[in-house]
Amino acid sequence: MIRIYRQLLVAQIQAAAQYRIQALLWMLFSIIRPVIFLAAWTAVATAQGGSVGGYSASDFAAYYIALTLVNHLCIAWNSFEFEFEIRQGRLSPKLLRPLHPLHYSVVENLVFKITTLLPLCLVLVIVALTFNVRWAGEWWHLVIFVPSIILAAALSFMLGWVVATATFWLQRINTVNTLFQRTAFIFAGQIAPLALMPEWMQVVSYALPFAYILAVPAEILRGGVTLERCLLYLVGQAVWLGLTIIAFRFAWRAGLREYSAVGA
Amino acid sequence: MDAPVVDVRALRKVYRVTERETGLAATFRSLVKRRYREVLAVDGITFHIDPGEVVGFLGPNGAGKTTTLKMLSGLLHPTGGEATVLGHVPWRRDGTFLRGMTLLMGNRSQLVWDIPAADSFLVLKEIYAIPDAQYRRTLDELTDLLELQPLLHKPVRGLSLGERMKVEFAAGLLHSPGVAFLDEPTLGLDISMQGRIRRFVAEYNQRSGATILLTSHYMDDVVALCRRVIVIHRGVLLYDGALADLAERMAPYKRITVTLRGAVGDLAAFGEVVTSNDNVATIHVPRAQAGDRTARLVRELGDQLADISVEDPPIEEVIDKVFASERPLAEATA
Amino acid sequence: MIRYLRMFRAFASSEFQFEMEYRGNFYLSILEMFLVIGTSIAAVLVMFQHTTTMNGWTLPQMIVLLGVYYMIQGGVNLVFSPSFERLMEHVRAGTLDFHLLKPVNVQFLVSTRHLRVVRAADLALGLAVVIFGLVQVGAEIGVGPAVLFVLSLLFGIMLVYSLLLGLVTLAFWFVRVENLLAIFWAFTEAGRFPVDVYPLWLRVSLSTIVPIGIAVTAPANVIAGRMDWIAVAVLGAGTVLAVGFASALWRWGLRSYTGASA
Repeated sequence: MIRIYRQLLVAQIQAAAQYRIQALLWMLFSIIRPVIFLAAWTAVATAQGGSVGGYSASDFAAYYIALTLVNHLCIAWNSFEFEFEIRQGRLSPKLLRPLHPLHYSVVENLVFKITTLLPLCLVLVIVALTFNVRWAGEWWHLVIFVPSIILAAALSFMLGWVVATATFWLQRINTVNTLFQRTAFIFAGQIAPLALMPEWMQVVSYALPFAYILAVPAEILRGGVTLERCLLYLVGQAVWLGLTIIAFRFAWRAGLREYSAVGA
Repeated sequence: MDAPVVDVRALRKVYRVTERETGLAATFRSLVKRRYREVLAVDGITFHIDPGEVVGFLGPNGAGKTTTLKMLSGLLHPTGGEATVLGHVPWRRDGTFLRGMTLLMGNRSQLVWDIPAADSFLVLKEIYAIPDAQYRRTLDELTDLLELQPLLHKPVRGLSLGERMKVEFAAGLLHSPGVAFLDEPTLGLDISMQGRIRRFVAEYNQRSGATILLTSHYMDDVVALCRRVIVIHRGVLLYDGALADLAERMAPYKRITVTLRGAVGDLAAFGEVVTSNDNVATIHVPRAQAGDRTARLVRELGDQLADISVEDPPIEEVIDKVFASERPLAEATA
Repeated sequence: MIRYLRMFRAFASSEFQFEMEYRGNFYLSILEMFLVIGTSIAAVLVMFQHTTTMNGWTLPQMIVLLGVYYMIQGGVNLVFSPSFERLMEHVRAGTLDFHLLKPVNVQFLVSTRHLRVVRAADLALGLAVVIFGLVQVGAEIGVGPAVLFVLSLLFGIMLVYSLLLGLVTLAFWFVRVENLLAIFWAFTEAGRFPVDVYPLWLRVSLSTIVPIGIAVTAPANVIAGRMDWIAVAVLGAGTVLAVGFASALWRWGLRSYTGASA
């Protein structure tokens, strides 16, 4: 398996070279929304005399910069691309090979993130300087961040694949994607740090998987949570990852049956 | 004598093509200083077309046919020379000029693919400001001539290539132009559809009196439709006159093919032996003596002769000779 | 003039018929827009749990701003975006020539030939949000401010149009302009908050290079009573300049395409 991955990685790095510019642009896009919300919350904090709900302007900066990094490391686009792949007939050849199609997208995903990581960090440094960031954490926050981000990325990836399988039945899953995107928009911690949302919304956030992808690792990285809470978060992430993997296996098998019934 | 509908004088078009080598260093260099290559597409051609004529514009790929048509329809500005179509300078794009002419490009579609042709026609009706009554009349005629009835209300996407061509034709002629430029109108069509399109063009020219200039590299298009051809090669006009005369001048011979029962012997006495193998031979004989030589062959070969046929040389051969000469043929007397 | 209106009506009706063929998609698109706007309002509400103003903007004013944001998006995506998308295909496929053969102003054809009629629903929804915001304030809008509002909205849409036209004209020289357009679309995200919230450099860019900031904030300011007719007139003058400049660029591009400058 390791050898397969190594080969796939080499091939994908070469392919990605063609799309260097697009990749850079995609990376820049992912920064815009967090920066916009950061500017807005900074204005709110200023209007309230410097801080809101325990978050000063510098804390917001730290949160949103962390969020941007986390968002980038967790990005997954299979729910959009899968429909395209099927329509172009590229799924069937993959199904004929003794390698689950999932692995190809793992490699594509990793290569994108690795190649754009450095430029992203450079831009984030600029944002940090512009907004006077303040880091509130301890060394062990950084340690815990590592498993957290891995869990988050895996969860985001698998969740995207679960949504993608809807294509087997719906052909055009645009609306499903929008539904997921907008729910994530509200409950993943993009519009506000979770602690600043009304109680009932926080409850919903913790019940849904989206927060475990973005808000949770971001708060850990920012250093805004206690040790016990960190560990609870990790458990939450692991549970959701497990659920998503199980959901995917069911959906994939059922989807394939549908796919071959229709005539691949 | 009517003024010519298309009047071209010393028309010239030079393209500037940027040259760039591959590689990173060359890319940077090209940002600072660009290198150009000048391509001479049309090199000073002159001709006139009278109202109602159907003229064929012949030439191999890259000869300058399409460039000339684009200049005459106003899409391109020439580098030199003059031209008027329907009394207007095409590249000034006057409303009257644009309403009076049409350009159909064989390999490109102007219709929107997702909607039925009939809907696109309604849009064209507004764009050309065609009055209702005239629109209905023209549409009925075109539907009749092109057998469009079953095609009009299906999305263009779902039509076959031949059906799409017919519908594109209708779209181009909806505003009853006085001049039609047809660029490779039968490109990619099967034989029967080519024939139908040709019959349509001839009929349309008859009924409406529209002047038609068509380019093609299918000889059959030209032979079927055009009494007059203009031959162009490497941007230079090589011949302008009747097609029949061209054949006479470039290939003043007839082709006799004999099939013998036994092996072919030496037939040089009868004419120029072009090919000879096993028991089939092809001989070129001067036109005037074709009858004579045929009779002689029949007499002297007797029952050795299994089959004999006498034909005009294929028009492709004629045209190839014109291309090969690459020099304009002196004007034949009218 | 009438002729151009009739042509536009023909374009719209032909497009509408096509969209009606896929009624399911049509209604789903509207549903999606409800979702998008609803969640955006929710985001603003969450923010205003913690404050009564943001940079001087009250909650109802923010809601009005959000409504204007979606109205401008709707307006641009109704006509200009679909037409310009096709334009880029035409330049690539060489079918732009067909537009040049028509006895109509090419810029008009290229900007309005294709529509996405369902985006009219976005416009309507945005307007509903604006009205909702007004009702919250309990304000009554006199005829004067209402007229100024509509004017500033039109100016905003035309400002965005001029930027799009300029970008798309680049397709004559650099065939693949999609990346530039993608950058533009990403920046429009910034329109969801008032432009004065952003740091100076961003504020300036959003008022000039990518004028989405000013396009959205200006009409909202009119409703909030912060912009009088003089300011709107200045905005109008700026819009006229922008459109004029973009149109000149377009004409230049077209001349280079037809070899006129040669």
